[in-house]
Amino acid sequence: MNRHSFFVCESLQRVMQNASPALACTLLLCGLLMSATGCGKTPAASFRPNMVEAAKQRLTPDQEAQVATILEAMFGTPDDPVALPETGLDVSKLRLAAGPVHSDIVGRKNGLFREHCSHCHGVTGDGMGPTAAFLNPYPRDYRPGWFKFKSTERADKPTHADLVTILNNGINGTSMPSFALLGEAKVDALVEYVKYLSMRGEAELSLMRYYFELDDEDEGKLPETREFLVEEILLPVAERWQEAEDAIIDVPEMPEVDLQESIALGKELFYGNKANCVKCHGVTGLGDGQANDYDDWNKVVKQWSDEVLSAHDASTSEMSREEKAEHRAWLARSDKALAGDALDPRTIQPRNLRQAIYRGGRRPLDLYYRIHAGINGAPMPAAAGTLTPDEIWHIVNYVRSLPYEYDGELGADRSMVARDRL
Amino acid sequence: MRNRLAGLFWSLVFLAVPVLGVAVFAVAPSIDVWLPKDVSAHGKDIDSLFYFILALTGIVFIATEMLLFWFVWKYDEAARGDQKATYIQGSHTLEVIWTIIPAVLLLFLAIYQMNAWADMKMRRPVMKPTVEVVARQFEWRLRYPGPDGDLGTPDDLFLVNDLHVPVDEDILVQLKSMDVLHSFFLPNLRVKQDAVPGMKIPVWFKASEVGQYDLVCAELCGWGHYKMKGRITIESREDFDAWLEAKYREQEATQAEPLQEDL
Repeated sequence: MNRHSFFVCESLQRVMQNASPALACTLLLCGLLMSATGCGKTPAASFRPNMVEAAKQRLTPDQEAQVATILEAMFGTPDDPVALPETGLDVSKLRLAAGPVHSDIVGRKNGLFREHCSHCHGVTGDGMGPTAAFLNPYPRDYRPGWFKFKSTERADKPTHADLVTILNNGINGTSMPSFALLGEAKVDALVEYVKYLSMRGEAELSLMRYYFELDDEDEGKLPETREFLVEEILLPVAERWQEAEDAIIDVPEMPEVDLQESIALGKELFYGNKANCVKCHGVTGLGDGQANDYDDWNKVVKQWSDEVLSAHDASTSEMSREEKAEHRAWLARSDKALAGDALDPRTIQPRNLRQAIYRGGRRPLDLYYRIHAGINGAPMPAAAGTLTPDEIWHIVNYVRSLPYEYDGELGADRSMVARDRL
Repeated sequence: MRNRLAGLFWSLVFLAVPVLGVAVFAVAPSIDVWLPKDVSAHGKDIDSLFYFILALTGIVFIATEMLLFWFVWKYDEAARGDQKATYIQGSHTLEVIWTIIPAVLLLFLAIYQMNAWADMKMRRPVMKPTVEVVARQFEWRLRYPGPDGDLGTPDDLFLVNDLHVPVDEDILVQLKSMDVLHSFFLPNLRVKQDAVPGMKIPVWFKASEVGQYDLVCAELCGWGHYKMKGRITIESREDFDAWLEAKYREQEATQAEPLQEDL
């Protein structure tokens, strides 16, 4: 019991001797509430280590501690973000988004990420906030650095504007709502912070994976020189974010053919071998084709949990005593990481194209990007190599006609969607 | 006389309730915690009903509180000494009176408000929906029917949270919910209607002034309820049409353009 609550209790006792039981009970309740809420200190927020990767790379506790130390030096803490100049990030924006929710000296709201995002995406941006497990699809885990909806090629990072668009429009069909009414400055700060968390997550991954490449003479420790950390760890990630700004896909004009004709051509491609959209999106376009695949985030967890499962079954008869103990410790640790630091892997549903719900945006331009570059992290492949731009446009037109197709024909008087009658 | 002070104290405490209660209502409008500005055609009916009921309940409130004060004051044990209370079986006349008066008042209110209720919930303007609003945890998804006036056709316009309506025209909203109970609340237009999953609920109003006001959720719908906030922009027909067209052009874009920030 701390000093404060001791005094509360003492004075309560004195009151109780002189007052009626009902009054005393009320006061006691108030006192308890006060000491429960006012006197307890909230621990400072911290970034959660990537335990799945740590267990996977079989890092020792010392190595885990080293990764945490390096990351804190490079990126700071959730309350006090650090961005080295090489990241190209704007620290003033990060400060607006980071930290606990509070108003600063000029009355500006701080802690935007924790106010609006961390419920789902987690303080670390690992997609494991308190509400994450309830949602389908799961909230995005920024740490691997994969982003789905963007105007750049599949393997590229999204541009700043791409992420701003996502925050403004939300992602229809998922739990991601629109944040447009927050205003430009706040959305901008949040996007900067998402980039920061993503860079931090990727740096963490590459640090953890780097132990594998160490020589014997390094004695299992990463060099902590600025040169190594910036050149080997930070720049490879940061540069790709910076390059993305100039790597926007060049979209040729839509071919000048009659819309119905274009739709017919698109339909042919949709069902044909060349584009083969039908394989996953199904013969009806309802997304009922191949549905037993995983997206990359879930695949990582799925494959690794399979690996751990088979390690559980593996024979240990040829191991020495120490090896057995080590094996058991690793299994226990892996199980713990899977249970506590990963969400149950879930298959990915190919999009139902008849709902007129487009996660990455409904502009023809957005659909062009999706088909051209595919969707990073998802089974949707890039069509850029196989299809010409005109062919992509035809598929865009066909896909856009699907929600309104009636009896297999667009342009009929009645749409497939139930009419809204009064 | 120590106990006499206690009697005085408690009777004053009960007196403070009506005094402070009335004082709060008297001060509230001047510190801007009163009804939000009314910009609707039917809002006057709602507000006058509100004021009428407020006055009625106010009078009853003050009367009962004063009675309470008076009883505590008058029948304080210390002041009356050993005088015993009289035992009575109850008063039939009194009971009839205090049953009939509220019953008549309630019946009167039920009949008096009928017209306002019918205007808001029954006398729907004969028209196609101006916009479809789909509530969702935690945002308002909007769909405008486009030039053909029909929802569910390729020229529909899809937006989020940013509701626009023309001024001085009947507006018919088709309200749906995608997940749980929400409530479509436009405080300045005196409109509040629950959105129920599986139901398509018509809501109508007519705005009388241009401006930007809040659209909020008035039904606890989950952890993000407090930030399920949109905005309604009431504007002239020309501005509304221009806005619709600009948004539609944006939606149909086939080329990347510099972002038009019009928020």
